[in-house]
Amino acid sequence: MAEITGIYTASHTPVMLNFPDRIPAALREEIFAAYRAMGDDFMAGKPDALIVLSNDHLHNFFLDNFPAFCFGCAESYESPIEHWLHAKRRTFAGDQAFGAYLLQNALQSDFDPAFSMEMVLDHGSLTPLELAGIDPDLPIVPILINCVQPPMPTMRRSYDLGRYLGKAIADYAGVERVAILATGGISHDIATPRMGMVNEEFDQTFLSLMEGDDIDATIRYATDFVHTAGNGCEEIRMWMAAMGAANGAKYHRTYYRAVNDWYTGIGIGRFEV
Amino acid sequence: MANWQEMMPSTRAYMMNKVLYELHHKPDHLEAYNDDADAYLARFALPQDLADCIKGNDVAQMYLSGVNPYLLRAHCIGVKIPEDVSLAALRSLLNHEGYNNG
Ligand SMILES: [Fe+2]
Repeated sequence: MAEITGIYTASHTPVMLNFPDRIPAALREEIFAAYRAMGDDFMAGKPDALIVLSNDHLHNFFLDNFPAFCFGCAESYESPIEHWLHAKRRTFAGDQAFGAYLLQNALQSDFDPAFSMEMVLDHGSLTPLELAGIDPDLPIVPILINCVQPPMPTMRRSYDLGRYLGKAIADYAGVERVAILATGGISHDIATPRMGMVNEEFDQTFLSLMEGDDIDATIRYATDFVHTAGNGCEEIRMWMAAMGAANGAKYHRTYYRAVNDWYTGIGIGRFEV
Repeated sequence: MANWQEMMPSTRAYMMNKVLYELHHKPDHLEAYNDDADAYLARFALPQDLADCIKGNDVAQMYLSGVNPYLLRAHCIGVKIPEDVSLAALRSLLNHEGYNNG
């Protein structure tokens, strides 16, 4: 039966890699140090496998066939897919058996995700893993939620997906120690007129709710106010899923800063599992 | 206030999305586009106004046409529209009545 060693949430943005110099060096170092601290904490839990909750940014999926949820069931994952991303190419090991277990069990539990046996991960998965310094040989199972093209699954359904994952992981005998990294958000706009206008008030309220103990209020706030915090904020669906997997465990932020010149409210935190 | 121009993509948006998607994912497409944008865009049977705004790097008009913002963003970087130019074009729509349909 697998133990969850840590559940982390962290923002991602390609700007960190593509335009690092748009912010002062001291701030950049502070942010990169916060990701490294998350990575150190993560590795201290000695996980044997990692569930990456992220989203595809219209690279693997297009509007001809767009899954609401997609479970990765591949032996390995190349990254990045973006020809324009300033990142060195790498290959992540996949935990195919774990992915297949989560998929089959999901369908048995009346969740109906799509699955993929070949995905090239984009910056959404790569950036936080890279900045956190997480070993690429640690086998991963990517679980992608549509946050980039309406219509999208609800915040509540994303939370329920996480609840399912938390239970299914606990019942899995194939690995002993599992970490979860949920990436995306918080407030940001991608290629909209509000790009670069981070809604810090949303982020602060959202983080405070995450740190409180009213899960319904957190889901309600995410649902009712995400429209004030940018299309990139739709990625807090992954935070909802992390909260579901945490099953009531306490959350605390380890870093937050509204970084307008990187267009993103950068938040990092973990659940006390 | 809304996060999206279209809560369900229109066919026009779909057509433009398809161009931007293929341009940056299919081998040799970016090269073909850079060699001869008109010939490349003619493959897609787009309405002329949509072809014109892609060819003219008219970021604001592309946004208003309902193109997926992630595809638009990747396109701006991929065809090397200067960051400050694309940003200013988007920002100019802040008070535009067509921005996220009001
Ligand atoms: Fe993203």
